[in-house]
Amino acid sequence: MYGFENITANNGWAMAFVGATIVFLGLVVLTLVISQIHKILNLWEKRDELFARSKDKSRPGEAQTVAGPVYKQRRLPTVEELVSIYRPLVEQLKEPFDLVQLYEISNKMDLPHPNLSINRLREAQILIAQDDGTFTWGK
Amino acid sequence: MLDLLFQFMSNTGYYLADYRHIIMIVVGFTFLYLGTAKKFEPLLLVPIGFGILVGNIPFFKGFGIGIYEPNSVLHYLYFGVTTGVYPSIVFLGLGAMTDFSSLLAQPKLMLLGAAAQMGIYFTLLGALFMGFLPKEAASIGIIGGADGPTSIFLTAKLAPHLIGPIAIAAYSYMALIPVIQPPIMKLLTTRQERLIRMSEPRDVSKKEKIIFPVVGVLLCCFLAPTALPLLGMLFLGNFLKECGVVDRLAKTAQSAVIDTATIFLGFTVGCSTQADVFLTPKSLGIFFLGSIAFSIATGSGVIFAKIMNLFLKEKINPLLGAAGVSAVPGSAREVHLMGLKEDPNNFLLMHGMACNSSGVIGSAVCAGILWSFFI
Repeated sequence: MYGFENITANNGWAMAFVGATIVFLGLVVLTLVISQIHKILNLWEKRDELFARSKDKSRPGEAQTVAGPVYKQRRLPTVEELVSIYRPLVEQLKEPFDLVQLYEISNKMDLPHPNLSINRLREAQILIAQDDGTFTWGK
Repeated sequence: MLDLLFQFMSNTGYYLADYRHIIMIVVGFTFLYLGTAKKFEPLLLVPIGFGILVGNIPFFKGFGIGIYEPNSVLHYLYFGVTTGVYPSIVFLGLGAMTDFSSLLAQPKLMLLGAAAQMGIYFTLLGALFMGFLPKEAASIGIIGGADGPTSIFLTAKLAPHLIGPIAIAAYSYMALIPVIQPPIMKLLTTRQERLIRMSEPRDVSKKEKIIFPVVGVLLCCFLAPTALPLLGMLFLGNFLKECGVVDRLAKTAQSAVIDTATIFLGFTVGCSTQADVFLTPKSLGIFFLGSIAFSIATGSGVIFAKIMNLFLKEKINPLLGAAGVSAVPGSAREVHLMGLKEDPNNFLLMHGMACNSSGVIGSAVCAGILWSFFI
């Protein structure tokens, strides 16, 4: 049997539609769940503060001091600082290297904002692109 | 003495060879050339290519030499393919090597991985249209997931007689991603769309990376328990990597374990690809459908990204849809290179890896769903 007859006889339309729907909905649910993980973790880490706040709210008449957020002044590292941080990592890799490898090492070292840092090094021509998509460290 | 000599000569490969062995040996040479000289996915093509050479050397049957003879060494090694052991072990190593942080930072990119799996179901219909049996059609369809171990796993369960051509088709097209994907990406996107820059993803905490494999395995395997051998190992490997207390196990999983499984998987699949299975009209059909599967998977990912952009304030670069196939990191690299061609400062690699990772999960879920249809 061939053609649409074979598809219909073997329930092909139903398999394709149901299968596609199940995998799509399954990944939609996974997407929704993982998009909430960091929010739930934030709530969990701030649970004492939230509990204390709700306790304060339940005591009327007392003067409440509102603890404002403490802002730390943030400053982006300069290119020179990034060079001093990333040069030892690049020395662990053989040139030319994939940016994926540099990204993985910087993740392992828990360096902040690896994507932004690597991009800035590229813009400053410290990381030099080769023709085949690999990179070298500019001397 | 002459009789002894003639008896020996009649048992040699030279005497027993026919044109089909020669054709398959040429196929093996081609794979070795593509893997070594052109560096097309060498980790896959080199063991497969060498396996094709070894598997197609003619020999006298009945003495426990060939891969299909029950008491041969190659047959014992092939056990890992027919039972799905090697694909599961490869997934363990893959999980131990994969960093899901780019996916966790941008969960909406997981939908592109889901969309790219539509290639599997279109190919299933195409295979049925061409007259394949339902289990064969499902095994051929999974090529669209662009995942070699998943293809071998499902084919071993549903259509073990087609492991050779399906594995060869799947790995060949994975190696040809630099040829197949770029024209489709260019055809389906405008220059303006290719220039879309993605925003810097947020930092992902260690706790999120530890929780994700647990949540992932529970959600995915409750939905498709038949995907347990693949997804269970994938998420185990990832948990070993992220928990930070079993570094030794994680390092072993991402090196010795996956390398050993890859060697035996590729080599035995190559050995099993013999002329009587491979040089048939069915194999040609499988190769044709495999190219359709890859093309539709790429196209559906790109088109879905464009559909998402109709509803999103912060647009996604639609090239990322092509990275929704499971070919890690080949398709992410192609998306990145195409983005760089249009704008040398458009850095898409990490975003592409997010889509790639979700493609791995999506294709394994699809394999589980297809297998469950036939239980």
